[in-house]
Amino acid sequence: METIEIRLENLTKVFQAKNKEETLAVSDLDITIPAGKLIGLLGPSGCGKSTTLYMISGLLKPTSGKIFFGDSDVTSVPPEDRGIGLVFQNYALYPHMTVRQNIIFPLENIKMEKKEAERRVQYYADLVGIGHLLNRKPVQLSGGQQQRVAIARALVKEPRVLLLDEPLSNLDARLRLQTREEIKRIQRETGITTIFVTHDQEEAMSISDEIILMKEGVQQQKGAPQDVYDSPGNMFVAKFLGSPPINIFDGEIKDGKIMIGNANVGRVEKKKNQPVVVGIRPEGFKLSERSSFQVKVEFVETIGRDTTLIIQNPKASKDQANDIENEDMNRANTFRAIVDADEKIKPGDSIKLNVKPHKTFLFNPETGELV
Amino acid sequence: MSEILYDNEAKIRRKQMITKGILYSLLTAFAIFIVIPFYWMILTSLKDAEEVFSAPPSLWLRPSEWEIQNYWLIIRGEVPYGRFMLNTVVVSAISTVGTVLTTILAAFAFARLNFRGRDAFFMVLIATMMIPGEMFVITNFLTVSWFGWVAEQTYFDAILAMTLPFMTSIFYIFFLRQTFKTIPNELYYAAKVDGTSDFMYLWKIMVPIAKPTIITITILNAMGTWNAFIWPQLVTQFNESNRLVSNGLRGAAYVDEAGRVLYNEQMAAAFVVTLPLLIVFLLLKKYIMRGVSRSGIKG
Amino acid sequence: MLEEKHHFKAWLYLSPALALLLVFTFYPIFNAFYLAFLYNFDYMQRTAEGMTFTTEGINLFHNFRRTLQDDLFIRALINTLIIVFVSVPVSVIISLLLSVWLNSIKRFQGFFQTIFFLPYVTNAIAIGMAFAVIFHREYGLINMILTSVFGMEEGLNWLGRVSVDESTPAIRAWFQRYLNLPMLSLMVFITWSGLAFKIMVFLSGLQSIDKQYYDAARVDATPKSRVFRRITIPLLSPMIAYITITSFIGAFKEYTAIVGMFGIDLGPHGDANRLITIVGLVYKSLNEMDSVGAMSRAASAAIILFMMTLVLTLFNMYVSKKRVHY
Ligand SMILES: Nc1ncnc2c1ncn2[C@@H]1O[C@H](COP(=O)(O)OP(=O)(O)O)[C@@H](O)[C@H]1O
Ligand SMILES: [Mg+2]
Repeated sequence: METIEIRLENLTKVFQAKNKEETLAVSDLDITIPAGKLIGLLGPSGCGKSTTLYMISGLLKPTSGKIFFGDSDVTSVPPEDRGIGLVFQNYALYPHMTVRQNIIFPLENIKMEKKEAERRVQYYADLVGIGHLLNRKPVQLSGGQQQRVAIARALVKEPRVLLLDEPLSNLDARLRLQTREEIKRIQRETGITTIFVTHDQEEAMSISDEIILMKEGVQQQKGAPQDVYDSPGNMFVAKFLGSPPINIFDGEIKDGKIMIGNANVGRVEKKKNQPVVVGIRPEGFKLSERSSFQVKVEFVETIGRDTTLIIQNPKASKDQANDIENEDMNRANTFRAIVDADEKIKPGDSIKLNVKPHKTFLFNPETGELV
Repeated sequence: MSEILYDNEAKIRRKQMITKGILYSLLTAFAIFIVIPFYWMILTSLKDAEEVFSAPPSLWLRPSEWEIQNYWLIIRGEVPYGRFMLNTVVVSAISTVGTVLTTILAAFAFARLNFRGRDAFFMVLIATMMIPGEMFVITNFLTVSWFGWVAEQTYFDAILAMTLPFMTSIFYIFFLRQTFKTIPNELYYAAKVDGTSDFMYLWKIMVPIAKPTIITITILNAMGTWNAFIWPQLVTQFNESNRLVSNGLRGAAYVDEAGRVLYNEQMAAAFVVTLPLLIVFLLLKKYIMRGVSRSGIKG
Repeated sequence: MLEEKHHFKAWLYLSPALALLLVFTFYPIFNAFYLAFLYNFDYMQRTAEGMTFTTEGINLFHNFRRTLQDDLFIRALINTLIIVFVSVPVSVIISLLLSVWLNSIKRFQGFFQTIFFLPYVTNAIAIGMAFAVIFHREYGLINMILTSVFGMEEGLNWLGRVSVDESTPAIRAWFQRYLNLPMLSLMVFITWSGLAFKIMVFLSGLQSIDKQYYDAARVDATPKSRVFRRITIPLLSPMIAYITITSFIGAFKEYTAIVGMFGIDLGPHGDANRLITIVGLVYKSLNEMDSVGAMSRAASAAIILFMMTLVLTLFNMYVSKKRVHY
């Protein structure tokens, strides 16, 4: 199977409703997706992931911008000529056809010789592990099995690109975990350039060679999952990645010191005095007697080898605490720290915390950009 | 595949345009086929005595050539259309009110109440829907005759004969029951907890929720009466002043001294009968179409 | 308490409908069979000479036999079958195409939908009369088109009396007798009036098909004709089955359309009963009530009609079971 690189140049999509109201679904996307890699397209619901995918597939026409498969400009090529495999969110398996008929359908369209077609159907059905279910109808399959059939149907014509639109969102948690490993394996075995759309950061992080984070139609950051996690480019990225999510504090830079209230939680060089938003990953805390960041523990959750402390936010003011609408509950009320399970800490204890510098990020309170 | 150069967007677009063009042409052609009878009816009804017997016929009349008088001849002519229309409206109204009431009550029993033999009885009703109406007509004619509603028929007899046999409909019971079934059980339980009686629940909650379906039933039933031909023809055969519009229309002979059929007057009468239906349709399109589409879906 | 049975109350709610159904639906079904087996029932005198199966020397199916032996019955039967097996497939196919086309356009969809729905709400008598004018030999639109556009010398005598030339070959005579110009004109009218309901049902069926199937087919480079055959038709098959069954049942009962176009004589001028159908025969017998046994013959004709409908419906359902995807 040939593998190709996909390049998006200034790709933009504006939807126009009947009443002339315009929605900017995808804005000026400039992305190169390396050949043979699995890319996770990640972002909250409604950020334009599906729209991007459908433009790559050719089902939607871009408002402006270009799409390249390898060296050829496919922007105005109809979907049937692009050589793509597409897996829909709810699979779109033809309900009146058996699994075999579903998978062979694309091959019949190109009038492939019957023997070869049958062989391929069996090969890809086995590859995704549904080779024994070929005579069933889709309704007789579980969600996970249907999902595999959809992948087999997408792969059987050996496309140059595989596009998956939230393929796991209809599965239960266990199956989701199992199937995503499976997709990773299939992608490795076939080496096909794959774009995997999801709104689940953990899913994207675990499966992708690279992730692309989107927000409101705009690309936020692109890179290897761990790199993006370790050095988020802005507050949105920092908040979107990680579970439990990053803790957000109102703070300030004062004479090279990072201050949360009266506590000094670190140092920065060459930054002028200014108010900042301090983001600290839950795993970025250490117990230490020599810290000025003294806090009170409210709850203790021990799960396996980690203990999560839910800690009163020293900066929380009374009225903020009751404001449930506030999008960052931890900013208002409590925050989380993950410490070693060996530490014996009880609710109500007062503890002192040190902060790991590489788990701490400073953002401009207005723009959300990294300081 | 990647070697192919894709500069054929214009070609694709042209192909799409041609497809679209063919599509709209075909649809337009069929639309004309559908409209022609209406057009021809109106056109003919406006022709004067000379125009109507000219061959080939003219396809178009300027407003100044319209012979509106044909309509006056119809309304004031020998055939009492006014009376037939009044008969039709009365029969239509009575049978529709009756049908809606009996249908609501029966559909409620089937949808909400729990009684022995409910499902079996319901199946029998559904099976009955398959039996052609002609099986009933013979006996029903004997029955209404036996009731004394046919011979020496009074106006009241005629109304009874034309409405009572149609005061309920298995199809509508089925249709309304399906709608009632979609109303969540919780509403019924809540009403029970509040001490609402079944009857109050039916009128205050189910009927308002099912209003669109009930409106659809009302319209379809009323239109059915307006178009009824066979039964009224049978039961009013001894007193033609009790006929309905369809019978009046088909029974009237519009001929001149030479024995030629006066198509202009005939078509004016036909249009007088058709017009109320068209008006009702255009006003209540939404409900009629919904009823028809639904009846297909559930099949 | 809520699951408690409400026998009395339930029957109370059912009673108005039930009473009417008993008198005007259930009793007539049994009575039709009773009438069909009465021997020499004289409606005027309200007397009969017993039942066919109790009368010595009389065939059990006496009334059925008399119905079947009537020449008019053969004609009614053939006319009915022609209407059923020609007009139903034609109108189902046309309406299927129209609804697919209609579903694939955006602009003017509502407009076309309204137009195509118009025949549903019209009075069959009034429109039938309009069709008669359209097919008129001298003043009609059809002949005008035939002469002026297609250059025919003179138009066809669409609605005129049919003369059967017995000296021509049997097939030819058969066509003259049954598949003649009046029948073709009638078929046009019947098709015209049947389109609306079918288009509406198909269109709502098409609109309930998930668009993603079409996207998936598109990505897989499926030709348009194959999409239609392999995706649209199977997913629409429940509606197609429903429409086919109801249309067959409806076509078996065709009568009013003929009255609309040809008058209660059911045929061209001077050629009464040329287009008679089985239902027409039932009403004809019903109108000869002073003749002994007419009611019984009407009842037996109705029962024959019922049996035919039943057989065809069961056959349809059997085919649907195998072919329809639910
Ligand atoms: N066909 C459409 N017409 C108008 N707006 C649309 C259409 N499809 C998507 N949108 C809008 O575009 C935005 C992005 O949608 P989508 O790509 O489906 O988001 P995602 O897949 O990331 O959840 C949303 O605001 C959505 O409402
Ligand atoms: Mg989406």
